[in-house]
Amino acid sequence: MPVTVSIPTPLQRLSGGKVKVSCSATSIEGLLEALEMAHPGMKERLTVSGKVRPFINIYVNGEDIRTLGAEASVLKEGDTVAIIAAIAGGHG
Amino acid sequence: MSTAALTIAGAELSAILKHCRRELPNEACGILGGRDRKVESVHPVQNAHPSPSRFAMEPTAQFLAMDEVSRAGRELVGIYHSHPNGPAVLSSVDLQEACWPGTTSPNYPGAVQVIVSLQDCASPVVRGYAANRGMFIEVPIIIDEPKQVR
Repeated sequence: MPVTVSIPTPLQRLSGGKVKVSCSATSIEGLLEALEMAHPGMKERLTVSGKVRPFINIYVNGEDIRTLGAEASVLKEGDTVAIIAAIAGGHG
Repeated sequence: MSTAALTIAGAELSAILKHCRRELPNEACGILGGRDRKVESVHPVQNAHPSPSRFAMEPTAQFLAMDEVSRAGRELVGIYHSHPNGPAVLSSVDLQEACWPGTTSPNYPGAVQVIVSLQDCASPVVRGYAANRGMFIEVPIIIDEPKQVR
């Protein structure tokens, strides 16, 4: 089930410079494994203890996976997945 | 390119300043769409953790704003936020949050980090910083219509 995944800029060196990659997966959990197989090092940068890192937001067709089922969110053929780094900061 | 100036028209700068003042005493945040380091659109984004000293873009609002920029055929040319009580410089928190954890790789290398200081609310100070060779350096901000800024 191919889905299209947008890769955040800091990880594009792992995807050979590709902004978007195609992966076959039926869930976000499976997608993270597929990304790791195709682009070693990706999973470590996106997850900790099997969970998506807090500063990473993942969207499936524009829907935050936190509202869909988190890592268990289901994917179907043709879905578009966006991996986006959170933006934060402050004067501290 | 990374050290190029950010150009912004007076109307867009006014929109940023208006947003930052509206959110006082808390920090305001948003993104800037455009091309070739020229701002063409301003997209205020909700601060998910309102505070005078921190901001975190509400994730879905951030996604929608970035999607809006992309759908308009524009690029993310800037990320802005205010320092209500601090100078217009990148804080240690800003620097830490702007990069992928444990690295010096900026999350959005093409975007100028725009800081609006409202220490003197009547005379805001706006400065920009861009990623360049593993660090952020100040880049000029060119205002197209300086007489319309306020």
